[in-house]
Amino acid sequence: MNPNINPDHKLIEVENLVTHYGSRLILKDVSMDVREGEIMVIMGGSGSGKSTLLRHLMALERQTSGTIRILGEDVVRLGTRELVELRMKTGVAFQGGALFSSMTVGENIMLPLYEHTDLDRTTMEIMARMKLEVVNLAGFENLMPSELSGGMIKRAAMARAIVMDPKILFCDEPSAGLDPVVSSALDELILRLRDAMRMSIVVVTHELESVFKIADRVTVLDQGRILFIGTLDELRASPSERIQNLLSRRADDTDLDADAYLTRLTGESVSGTANL
Amino acid sequence: MASDPQYPAVTATIEKIGRATASAVEEIGNGGALIFESLYWLVMGRRLRQPVRLPSIFAQMMEIGINAIPIVALMAATIGVMLAIQGIHTLRIFGAETRVTIGIALSITREFAPLITGILVAGRSGSALAARIGTMKINQEIDALYVMGINPVRFLVVPALLSTVVMVPCLTFFSDIVGLFAAGLYVNAELGISMAAYFDEVREILTPDHLMHGLSKSAIFAVLIAVIGVVNGAAVAGGAEGVGRVTTRAVVQSISAIVVTDMIFAFVVTR
Amino acid sequence: MKHQIKENDGALVIALEGDVDLKTSPDARKILLDAVGRNLPIVVDLSGVQYIDSSGVASLIEAFQKARKTGRKFVLAAVSDSALRVLNLARMDKVFAICSNVAEGLAKVR
Repeated sequence: MNPNINPDHKLIEVENLVTHYGSRLILKDVSMDVREGEIMVIMGGSGSGKSTLLRHLMALERQTSGTIRILGEDVVRLGTRELVELRMKTGVAFQGGALFSSMTVGENIMLPLYEHTDLDRTTMEIMARMKLEVVNLAGFENLMPSELSGGMIKRAAMARAIVMDPKILFCDEPSAGLDPVVSSALDELILRLRDAMRMSIVVVTHELESVFKIADRVTVLDQGRILFIGTLDELRASPSERIQNLLSRRADDTDLDADAYLTRLTGESVSGTANL
Repeated sequence: MASDPQYPAVTATIEKIGRATASAVEEIGNGGALIFESLYWLVMGRRLRQPVRLPSIFAQMMEIGINAIPIVALMAATIGVMLAIQGIHTLRIFGAETRVTIGIALSITREFAPLITGILVAGRSGSALAARIGTMKINQEIDALYVMGINPVRFLVVPALLSTVVMVPCLTFFSDIVGLFAAGLYVNAELGISMAAYFDEVREILTPDHLMHGLSKSAIFAVLIAVIGVVNGAAVAGGAEGVGRVTTRAVVQSISAIVVTDMIFAFVVTR
Repeated sequence: MKHQIKENDGALVIALEGDVDLKTSPDARKILLDAVGRNLPIVVDLSGVQYIDSSGVASLIEAFQKARKTGRKFVLAAVSDSALRVLNLARMDKVFAICSNVAEGLAKVR
């Protein structure tokens, strides 16, 4: 861990977050935080609400109730210009990279600089190349996104996300669709960003190898509720059967309703639990 | 109500119509809001340090305008000749075929050039716009713009809107010329009226407000094409197939809107 | 960008003051490039700079490369710990000569 990092300083604070999608309740009273210089991994099965939570942390959605404070600011209260200032201090690497196909890799990375600063073109180009070096894509600035492999696209997306030295980096499923070797290299990159650039990094992933490799703390969601928040060690030591199943990738049988299961499989219901 | 056992089919149908109307009104509302937001960015952009970008606008104008010239020329010439044929054929009944020029000139500049150009651009560029925005939405590129603090309306919609509003009237004017010329060739061939005489008569007939009638309509069509393209693209759901769906919808909706607007315009102006 | 430029026996000492970030680095860039244009060895005194970001580092890099093209020496001096960390991340410790104070820097460029 770096000296000069204040581990109690909370960069993101979520309090009693409740959110709906239409009439469906997605997140139920979620509270968590992300601290300075840590890698926080958000895990959960499908339907757990982890993607929704991430979207709220990125201020892409408006919650039904509860507060989200990013770098001390209550997001819903910010005016346009203040929101833009805040956005310049956060970076997002989306699952598919979300690079703009009509621009080169370099132009993609320079885009936030182009739109928000008065920097000279030469400065922007040097900064873009610096970030490409950090993500191991040196020399790729003139290629088009369609010429890159999946792993390269993700790294280019990360370069764009960190071009303005943000305080918080969000990574949505960084390993999705990658083979273990490339995925592992990406994990290394995330660790390097935390250590060298002293970023707080929020990662949503379901790859357990990555979780064990990069997480400082973990938030586990289950059906819209927090199942666990704590350090990786605390996660491994958790007595909860559900969590241990999650960690060992066993099918989760803890609350299998046999009657309902048979009904689902056969399409026929039987009154009472008969001979189970 | 739809589950009311007495009149299940009827109430279900009514509900369906109601829902469709409500969502259509919502989409028109979205479109209106988009126009206002675009105007906002056009005017205020420089002040808020987020100006509209010129190179991308230029590239779009090339694609919408210059690349459409061949097909617009073809269609305009064809329509021009068609109008000449029909006009002469009909007026022959009264022995008035030499008066055909006024009919041709007014129909082309007031109705056919803007209509055909609008429909062509809707099919070419309206669909392309919907497809582009739909694809971007699916790839989370719109989200990426948001998280980078870049307003998607300013970045995507305003350039598209500017490009169509400039290019469609230009293309319409171009098709006016091509259509009139092609019609003139037929008139010359069929009736022996010289091209010089034909064009003299055209110049006499075509007061500026006939031309403006057609060109201002085409500007409105341009707005419809851009806004309908964007609104549909942004409403995409469901992957690549979804993009195909919204593209088709965009073309159908913009052509319908163009034709309806054309009729309203004609009605209002001739009051 | 607050700065001071002093000539010291045929070399230029440029002292920058304050943060060099997205807002101020264009100024810093201009100051550095103008100084390099004077075709003298340069010592950049960063004792007054607590925070420098990638745009600041990029400006230093650009000026350094320009100085190299004219065959002139260009060193950094009195870099604070926080600034040093940023430079090291961009591997600038392998690129720039970094001296602990201005005197050492002046000695180096002669």
